[in-house]
Amino acid sequence: MKKYWGAAMFAVAATMPVADALAQAAPRDTLVWLREQDSDRYDPPRSTATAAGEALFLLSDTLVSMDWDQRTIRPGLAERWDVSEDGKTYTFHLRRGVTFCDGKPMTAKDVAYSINRWVDPATRSPVRYRAGNVESVTAADDHTVVYKLKEPYSELLYQLTQQFSAIVDQATVEKLGENFGVQGFNGTGPYCWSSWTPRQEMVLTKHPSYNWGPPIYQNPSPQVGRIILRIIPEANTRLAAIQSGQADVVAAAALPPFALEGLRRVPTVKLHHQPVYFYDIFVGFRVDKPVASDPAIRRAANLAVNKDAISRAVFFGASPAAPELINPQAMDYDAEAGKMVPRFNPDEARKVLDAAGWVPGSDGIRVKDGQRATLLAYGLQNQANNGMMQAMQADLRRVGIDMRVQLWDATVGWGKLATQEYDVFTMSYPYVSAMDALALYFPSANRPTPNRMNWNDPETDRLLAEGKTATDPAVRARAIGTLQRRLAEANVWVPMIRTSMYMATSQRVEGARPHGLYGVALYKGLDIRLTR
Amino acid sequence: MSATVQDLAAPVPAEAEVAPPRRPGTFARLMREPVAAIAFVLTMVIIVSAVLAPWLAPTDFFHNDLAQAMAVPGTEGLPLGADAQGRDMVTRLLYGMRMTLMMAVAAVALGGVLGAMVGFAAAFYRRADAALMRVMDVMLSFPAILFGLALAAIFGPGLLAVVLATAVATVPLMARIVRGAALGVMAQDYIEAARSTGMSDARIIWRHVAPNCLSSIFVFTTLRFGQVILLGSALSFLGLGAQPPTAELGAMASEGRNFLFFAPHIAIIPSLAIFAIVLVFNLLGDALRDALDPKLRV
Repeated sequence: MKKYWGAAMFAVAATMPVADALAQAAPRDTLVWLREQDSDRYDPPRSTATAAGEALFLLSDTLVSMDWDQRTIRPGLAERWDVSEDGKTYTFHLRRGVTFCDGKPMTAKDVAYSINRWVDPATRSPVRYRAGNVESVTAADDHTVVYKLKEPYSELLYQLTQQFSAIVDQATVEKLGENFGVQGFNGTGPYCWSSWTPRQEMVLTKHPSYNWGPPIYQNPSPQVGRIILRIIPEANTRLAAIQSGQADVVAAAALPPFALEGLRRVPTVKLHHQPVYFYDIFVGFRVDKPVASDPAIRRAANLAVNKDAISRAVFFGASPAAPELINPQAMDYDAEAGKMVPRFNPDEARKVLDAAGWVPGSDGIRVKDGQRATLLAYGLQNQANNGMMQAMQADLRRVGIDMRVQLWDATVGWGKLATQEYDVFTMSYPYVSAMDALALYFPSANRPTPNRMNWNDPETDRLLAEGKTATDPAVRARAIGTLQRRLAEANVWVPMIRTSMYMATSQRVEGARPHGLYGVALYKGLDIRLTR
Repeated sequence: MSATVQDLAAPVPAEAEVAPPRRPGTFARLMREPVAAIAFVLTMVIIVSAVLAPWLAPTDFFHNDLAQAMAVPGTEGLPLGADAQGRDMVTRLLYGMRMTLMMAVAAVALGGVLGAMVGFAAAFYRRADAALMRVMDVMLSFPAILFGLALAAIFGPGLLAVVLATAVATVPLMARIVRGAALGVMAQDYIEAARSTGMSDARIIWRHVAPNCLSSIFVFTTLRFGQVILLGSALSFLGLGAQPPTAELGAMASEGRNFLFFAPHIAIIPSLAIFAIVLVFNLLGDALRDALDPKLRV
């Protein structure tokens, strides 16, 4: 019965009139990619949104690229590279024959300019730290770049796969100034900037001479004439469009888990999955706030939340629970630390709270020294957070912790998350390795954002520094492993869900495979063909 | 509403040779119409169940069971099924109605009182009339949804924004109705008489004008109540109103709309509740207008 209902509803949805812009089938030789959100700009070092990454990987290239396994570094604009003995000097040997979208040849000077612009304090890049402690980046000749660091940085190549380090054309940056990535762009990517109407659509056209795609693709050149990145905020409208052939790609966060079961039954849609994907949802505690500062509260919260039930009910089983801080497939994951994060056990949670002196009050909420166990939680308003935080709220209530939830629209939410008003917050984030994840959130220098926990621990800073400057992978793994154990013990987070990378494509799309670096489904958008 | 007030407004028969039959009261006249009687009874049921929600609800407000998420209506122990969080829909519906009605009462009361004050002032102080009513016209030209969006941006989403937005949208409507009714009353001789006794303006409005406009106010309030519920639910549906886990009918419909394909009851049940409440209040308003209209009196 339930099945027929679903099928009938899907049929109805498919015939439902959607927005005017979508009223016709997707045009020929044009791939229509539907997204939920737009970015405020598309300037590599200044745009950290996943939505920005989706376009930037198409518009520009990085020195090195990432394999499907999210661990192996492959050539990009650099065909090979040498690392000095002391780990402080990287020499990149660039490919020949690479040109920008305007036809100008790309040289080592452009690489040096782009990296220096990224690390220049005047650029005010929020992700500058990802470039490492740079001494200088210079062009030795037209095809050799020397990347000198003040101290070794074991994470450098991983960070150079990300779009922040993308190579852009100096002349265009200087011509457009503040409006670079708003009014125009000039990169060496497989697709070129044609137009952008914010919060509506971005049109990209094929870069005709492009044949330097990463080796993970079979065909290094783009095969589709145009890509339209269209913003459709309403999930059901996106789903109707992909089923009726009015769009070609819906992926990642734009493809809600509740739709997967239905889409599997629709013959006009192909569903793809990337199993190696690091984009997690966690709940963090402000460790310097009255209630959240109590380790017993944090431990009890970790014990009280039934993540498996949340994964099943809110994420329809498509995104598994996150029992550990870091995805076990990620580099430098520490299995010992993984075991230390408490598993679901509400009785144990009550015992922990009893032992710490939190006594249930008349309304069931615990009290200690006149302080009620009340936490104020902030997060961004979306379907997943809404369901997840309400479920967590009910779980915490059962052990006597009162969590009030306030979810904010993204337009004001980021500002609210930068305040000191809340005790608990939820966030989702992409990472390439355990160190990448921890170095983003836990350094004391990153307070108050992105270290919204206000975690201020010299030992954490020391271990991060040790891991970063390690030239021996074993030393690095040991430092990052120790840090994971330390954070698991302190229960600074409740790791919640590992989101999944699913991608739905229309019938005419061939050769599409979701990648997932920085949460981006199409990555370079190569190997994709349209049959109609 | 006293009978004397009604009598004053009603045309007095020229020559009453025999004592007229005792006129039925407003309430009796209301209950004579079957539709009106049903609407009245349903209104009472809705109000009572909303007020008594904490005692009537089968489960605790916060109780959820994720294993029961989206259970269909008729599942054992869940006559209306469960929502996406595995919460009993009966509980959610009762608390949702409570919140929706509270929101509507607050909005109509706030907007109604402000609007009535403006209306009386415009009718009483003729010099201020044009200015006041042009301000009301300006307010009328703002769609309430737009106003709600603006308020939500300022205060953050929540019931406060919804109440303020719907109240503000009510002010000009109420002001116009009251002004119209009050102008009619102001032309009566007894107002002139009251003036000549040296009564203060406020006292004249309070003692003589307002009571005679009550029937218009009453009817409008009832009709507006339904509209405000609809408007508030629309704002909540857009995510500007009640925040989770607060149950509010519009927000519940919004939460359920993504699951329309496989668990339609989550969105349909609160939507039906909104429909029923608005319909009942509109019917009651209509019937009340008929019952209070002296011209329709038999």
